[in-house]
Amino acid sequence: MTDGETATSDLRFEPPASGSWGIDAVHFPRPATLYWAETHPAAIKRGVQDFTAFYGMLLDAIETAYVNGFSYTTMRPVGPEEIPARIKRAEEVFDGKLWREQLREWDETVKPASIAAHRALQSVDPEELDDEGLAEYLRSCSDHHSAMIVQHMRFTATAVIPTGDFLAHIGDWTGLPTADLLGLLRGASPVSAGASAELDRMVGAITQDALARELLESDGDPAAVLDELRALDGEVGPAVSAYLDLVGWRLLDGFDISGPCALELPDVLLRSIRIAATAAETDTSDLEEQIAAVRGKVPEEHRGEFDELLGEAKLTYRLRDERGVFSDIWASGLMRRAALAGGRRLADRGRIAQPEHLIDASVQEMCALVTGEDGPSAEELADRADYRATHTAKDAPRTLGDPPTPPPDLSGLPPAAARVMRAMGIASGEMFGSSEAEHEEDVLHGLAASRGVYEGPARRVAGPGEFDRIQRGDVLVTESTSEAFNILLPLLGALVTDSGGLLSHSAIVAREYGIPGVVGTREATDRIADGARVRVDGDSGEVTVLG
Amino acid sequence: MSGVPVEVLKRVPLFADLNAQELERIARLFKERRFSAGETVIQQGSGAAAFFVIDSGEATVFVDGKERRVLKTGDSFGELALIDAGTRTATITAASELVCSGVTFWDFRPLVEENGVIGWKMMQALVTIFRAERGE
Amino acid sequence: MSEVVQLVDASDTSLFGSKAVGLGQALRDGLPVPPGVALSGAVVDAVAGRDEQAIEQVALWVRPLKGPLAVRSSAVDEDGAEASFAGQHLTLLNVPGADELTSALSEIWWSANSDSAITYRQRVGLFSRPSVGVVVQTLVNPETAGVMFTRNPITGADERVIEASWGLGEAVVAGRVIPDHFRLARDGEVLERVAGHKKIAFRSLPDGGTVEQDVAPELIERLCLADGQLAELNLLADRCESIYGAARDIEWAIAEKTLYLLQCRAVTRAGP
Repeated sequence: MTDGETATSDLRFEPPASGSWGIDAVHFPRPATLYWAETHPAAIKRGVQDFTAFYGMLLDAIETAYVNGFSYTTMRPVGPEEIPARIKRAEEVFDGKLWREQLREWDETVKPASIAAHRALQSVDPEELDDEGLAEYLRSCSDHHSAMIVQHMRFTATAVIPTGDFLAHIGDWTGLPTADLLGLLRGASPVSAGASAELDRMVGAITQDALARELLESDGDPAAVLDELRALDGEVGPAVSAYLDLVGWRLLDGFDISGPCALELPDVLLRSIRIAATAAETDTSDLEEQIAAVRGKVPEEHRGEFDELLGEAKLTYRLRDERGVFSDIWASGLMRRAALAGGRRLADRGRIAQPEHLIDASVQEMCALVTGEDGPSAEELADRADYRATHTAKDAPRTLGDPPTPPPDLSGLPPAAARVMRAMGIASGEMFGSSEAEHEEDVLHGLAASRGVYEGPARRVAGPGEFDRIQRGDVLVTESTSEAFNILLPLLGALVTDSGGLLSHSAIVAREYGIPGVVGTREATDRIADGARVRVDGDSGEVTVLG
Repeated sequence: MSGVPVEVLKRVPLFADLNAQELERIARLFKERRFSAGETVIQQGSGAAAFFVIDSGEATVFVDGKERRVLKTGDSFGELALIDAGTRTATITAASELVCSGVTFWDFRPLVEENGVIGWKMMQALVTIFRAERGE
Repeated sequence: MSEVVQLVDASDTSLFGSKAVGLGQALRDGLPVPPGVALSGAVVDAVAGRDEQAIEQVALWVRPLKGPLAVRSSAVDEDGAEASFAGQHLTLLNVPGADELTSALSEIWWSANSDSAITYRQRVGLFSRPSVGVVVQTLVNPETAGVMFTRNPITGADERVIEASWGLGEAVVAGRVIPDHFRLARDGEVLERVAGHKKIAFRSLPDGGTVEQDVAPELIERLCLADGQLAELNLLADRCESIYGAARDIEWAIAEKTLYLLQCRAVTRAGP
């Protein structure tokens, strides 16, 4: 990735508008296509404005802008004249359980209508359209995609607020970590696990058909296997087709048309069908116990509320995935399908180098090229594709514009308004939270705080109460250290912490005592068992669990 | 003035034979120290700096991880720190809000050097411990 | 020589400790240090022993300081040793006022005379009785704060290394968050910006003490320093170095757009 590095220093990053902009590296780790950069901002803004008004939030919109293909967002608060109406609305949210209105709208109207619209577009075979027809089709797919992005955002708050509200309250009452509490919602979102009536029908058909089962397990070319399954007589063929029609044109990853659809990766698709056909029922038998256990930790006077909050969270939880899968994930796939069809046509004519390159054109450019008018050259499109492949969000500044502002103080808001903001905030954190350094199998990455390499037994010590357990030569593994830990230092072979930076107490004392130190691993206390043999490499910042 | 009353000090074996005036001198050297419940007061194996008397509250003594006894008002610990800056022989944690009076060896030592009686008493205390360890 | 002085007048390290004198010197040189009062080791000793005169004297001097207080220990003989004493001594934040100061000073006295402090001293070759002075200042309640080393402590390179997080600098000093990490060349060029994972922030409470708060999710991995602020920090590094010499360990805070210097010490053990 050396070329990308020199190219980056030529890029100029200007703030797109006033305010403080932060990069969204979680959803967009690589640059977006021009098509996406032109389509997304207006659509997402409209969708967000819809839900902020619906839920009486003091946020007007989250604005998105693409700078050199990287996604930056800023928050726009509502104007002061709007605030009274918003506050009043917020008061109605929890009393009236307003999310139920939206859920009903989704189930009864929006979702069926969207599926119908997707299927309508999907039923058109772009290969059979002439150039004018294809251009028109591209525009239809694009308009549909925009509308579906708006829709996705519209239902975001409904997907998130009851869950966030549940997490906030139960978290306060029990102190339990969010991951544990989210576990109580298991089974509430079959769509996340890929379940659907079509999947059930297909699995049912396959398990009763010996030939189908044999085919499924065969080693042949995955695309060919899928075609053969589709062609089988009896129940199987139609069931497989129905399933592939439902999921085939969904993007497998991300939102931009640059990502592949399920049908483009037949081996992934086949593997997931195999798993569905052979997997045991997911065991939710201990769920009731777990819920009871958490409920038991809630102070008695709140247990009625616990039941209510859990109920509302379970009701809306599936919307988290449904709102994407049945809206823009599908629509984006259809747009990609249309663009690839156009790309094949243009590549055949020698107008562009590869079909895939048309993904890097804007809608207008796609239509122009397909109908033989002026548009970007083959090299230009190839360059754009290359740019996206060789740059990542790490090449871009984290912020643009004004300095970032500190988190808002919710304590000054009226209770209902604060409750809405908090419910939204917590649940968003669960969605956005991610760790930058991916942990490989048994290797953790952190900051190389103090040089040297040391191997020894790990000793997990949470605080002074456990200091007795440290033996000479141990590797201390802990969340963070304080002055109280200094007593241990002469005994230690190395030091590993979850948090902290290179200038923190842990790092400084490790350097002073001349022992290898790795700080800021995030997960050391989760992933290193007490007594496990570890190698601490204070030069590379790696901690390896040896056994 | 410091928190430890003379009556409490009198019960400390090390100071049993001192007169009121001597006890008052000693009392003035002590400084109040508070620990919240669960806090480690001293840690087995760590270097030693101060000797403590409990004014109020309770503390638990652990040796090699095993609970040995509970200390209450008037009980004292850490006296070996007054003799040499060796390591603590036990871990003591506050079982409740604990108020102690403590004195470091720098503050205590001049007194011992001036007052032969205290020095003698400390040697006797050491011998008792020594004999106990030998099973006598 | 008086045992309690305005911080700007603290100049005798054998009385007030090097932290106090360092801050006093910074004030005399016009650096942006929050104003305060320096207490000598003897005064702290007396207050810890509940000497009424000493308590009165301290109260008199401290009362004019507005609002909640930051109380920092300033050990009298640390400077000679080849050690940072990092985390050895206490900083108490948001002591509400003069009345609560006595127990704060008592805690500080004990932190200097604790088993771990004494052991640490012996390890670095100090066998004398510790003496700890105290600096009492108005507490700054910052939006962003952290630490800056004016030499890279890992590589020894001539650059500024800055770690920052939301709220009070304790989050960075005590290593409670993974802070944002920046490196600047001496001329101010930004060599590196790495967002941390800043899940919590410490803030002061109106009635004393500090509270740990969760940071809003969208700010956990958002940089807390913009380039303009990095430039200001670089300038501060320049000024500190020109007055005190190279390799400084600086604690800073930004509150209401003002950059404050909270501490400036020598970096120990910088480089391979």
